[in-house]
Amino acid sequence: AWTPGWSVFCLVLLTVALGAQALTPSHHLSLSDVDRLKGLLSQPFTDLASAYYSIVGLSKLGASVADENDACQFLKAQLDPMSVDSLFFAAEASQAIADCEVSIFNETRDILLAAVSEDSTVTQIFRAVSALSSLGLPLASQEVVAALVARIAKEDNVLAITTALQTATRLSQQAELGGILEEIEDLAARLDDLGGVYLQFEEGLEATALFVTAAYTLSDHADTEPPLKEDQVIQLVNSVFSKKSWDSRSEAFSVACAAAALSSNRFHVPVIVSTQGPATVSHSQPILHLLVTDILSNPLASANLLVESAQAVASKSVVLSQAPFSLRNGIFELNFMASQPASGYYQFTVAVTGDSRLVANQVELKVKVSTEVAVTNMDLSVVDKDQSIGTKTSRVDYPFKAKGSFTADSHQNFAMNFQLVDANTGVELTPHQTFVRFHNQKTGQEVVFVAEPDSKNLYKFELDTAERKSEFDSMSGTYVLHLIVGDATLENPILWNVADVVLKFLDEEAPAAIQSKTLYMPKPDIQHLFREPEKKPPTVVSNTFTALVLSPFLLLLILWFKLGANISNFSLSPSSVLFHVGHACMLGLMYVYWTHLNMFQTLKYLAIIGSLTFLAGNRMLAQKAVKRYGQSSTLTFFTRSTCEN
Amino acid sequence: MSNSVISVISRFLEEYTTKTSNKLKVVDAYLFYILLTGALQFLYCLLVGTFPFNSFLAGFISCVGAFILGVCLRIQINPDNKGDFLTISQERAFADFLLAHTVLHLVVINFIG
Repeated sequence: AWTPGWSVFCLVLLTVALGAQALTPSHHLSLSDVDRLKGLLSQPFTDLASAYYSIVGLSKLGASVADENDACQFLKAQLDPMSVDSLFFAAEASQAIADCEVSIFNETRDILLAAVSEDSTVTQIFRAVSALSSLGLPLASQEVVAALVARIAKEDNVLAITTALQTATRLSQQAELGGILEEIEDLAARLDDLGGVYLQFEEGLEATALFVTAAYTLSDHADTEPPLKEDQVIQLVNSVFSKKSWDSRSEAFSVACAAAALSSNRFHVPVIVSTQGPATVSHSQPILHLLVTDILSNPLASANLLVESAQAVASKSVVLSQAPFSLRNGIFELNFMASQPASGYYQFTVAVTGDSRLVANQVELKVKVSTEVAVTNMDLSVVDKDQSIGTKTSRVDYPFKAKGSFTADSHQNFAMNFQLVDANTGVELTPHQTFVRFHNQKTGQEVVFVAEPDSKNLYKFELDTAERKSEFDSMSGTYVLHLIVGDATLENPILWNVADVVLKFLDEEAPAAIQSKTLYMPKPDIQHLFREPEKKPPTVVSNTFTALVLSPFLLLLILWFKLGANISNFSLSPSSVLFHVGHACMLGLMYVYWTHLNMFQTLKYLAIIGSLTFLAGNRMLAQKAVKRYGQSSTLTFFTRSTCEN
Repeated sequence: MSNSVISVISRFLEEYTTKTSNKLKVVDAYLFYILLTGALQFLYCLLVGTFPFNSFLAGFISCVGAFILGVCLRIQINPDNKGDFLTISQERAFADFLLAHTVLHLVVINFIG
């Protein structure tokens, strides 16, 4: 079902599709580029091939070699009548020079006709056919077509097929060129699309340029429109003419041929619309100048330029529609200021008409309308914060400075009101940059604020002295006040010294100015503060407590003495001596550990001493145990024996 | 109330001086010494401050450890407890005491700084 939604969708899709196709050439040959190309081709030539490129190339550009007679003599002298290539170069070049005839022999025709066969390369066939045609010798077109078709099947590369196309342009129009014409489309399919902007063969610029030349020359010859879409033509133009300095004569020749083919064929002529100078109009220069040329920067003979629509970028309103340009001295002119546009940017859509061959004839341009600004109704006042005292307003006219200075302290605000209008139309403007600058001449301080318009496009600026003191570093003094107005569409940016303002701040910091000056000087050294050791108690206290802590040992000895502990049972057996010595050593090792050793060394020594002590101790204790059991067993025996009794 | 406390204490002291063997009293004296040393160290810490804290800890833990080991020794060599320690002779108890003390001293000296 055909709903309204569907139709809208289709319309949108169509618009998008059409919009996507509006491609215009981004490269072409300007007049200086054409001169450079001619310069490269005019370099002196040393052999027939370079002579051919130069002479024929220059003729395509509508120029000629410096000395034509000399060139003709050169061709005649260098000609080798036995070589097909030599005959080709000489014949073609002599055709381009007026009154230059290359002499031919009877054998020439035979040599050239012999080259036209299935066994020669396409290049050979092309050169033979071209030479035959330039020298005015008869040739059988159908045979050539057959040979070409056979060769295309064998040599299936871009250059070969292009050369075949070129060959076909020299044949009679009655011949069957349909098959060869189809090759144009097949070749076009082999082009590489780069970003939708360039279309070229991977073989390079020369191959692309030669293809363009061949396609259009053959199409003209066969009177059939080439199967290239408008977008493809523009992309080919971009590829061929993006390079502005050429490596070799043959490359320059190919570009010259392509340029000639694209500017004067019967089907597609790409048109270039460019501005003369910057695209700006103003009251002093109300006329927009546009140039309409072909890709060789030659003005188009029959073209009409029309503004389809001029739309303001900011407001999207259409200012102009369907207005024609007038042609004067080859330049198209339009008085845009007659439509009284407001200042700003405008998107122009222009169309070139008058020739059905024109390609890319709808161009989008951005035009700037600039104007002059005037500052009006500039009122300066000092307002008391609590509004109790009436404001004192003075009006200042541009470009004069206010007579007295204005003083504002922390209880007051300094205010500035003004309007910015278009000097020519009186319309209110809101430029991009409206700054209020305070400059302290003594300290070099500069503070900049932005003045903003209110809803009625009246600019207001208010300085709250107390609130803004940090930006001024609380430096009281006289500040010179400037108003700065600027915008891309203004021809007269304004820097206006409006008045002097004396600001008084509380808490003045005199070193503030010095601070900013010393910002980049070396700072004072920072001394590293090591961690301070903790406070220790006085030595007297420590010593007292040491004595106190050791005193219980004395008490222990006294207690033991009182209890009657003694070492009378000390047996002087070697194991017990060794044990006690070893044990003493272990205790000594503890002290040494505290003072000198680390854990690993201590453990090492401890292992040695410890094992000795253990063995000795074990033996000693065993002996003691035996003695003790012996005693107790005798006692038991004695008791039992007495009991039995 | 205080009367009964005093009578309990005096009874305990009487029993202690008469019933406990000399060997155990020797060990008890040693334990008392350790206790005093530990208490004095703690007093110093309270009065003067904890600097150096690691040394205080080492000393105090040494006293505590030694006290515990002494108590273990006393328990093990008390003939009244023989039934609980059938496999451990007095010599063995003493040997254990010495070994444990070696380890304690190693740790304490390491920590004393």
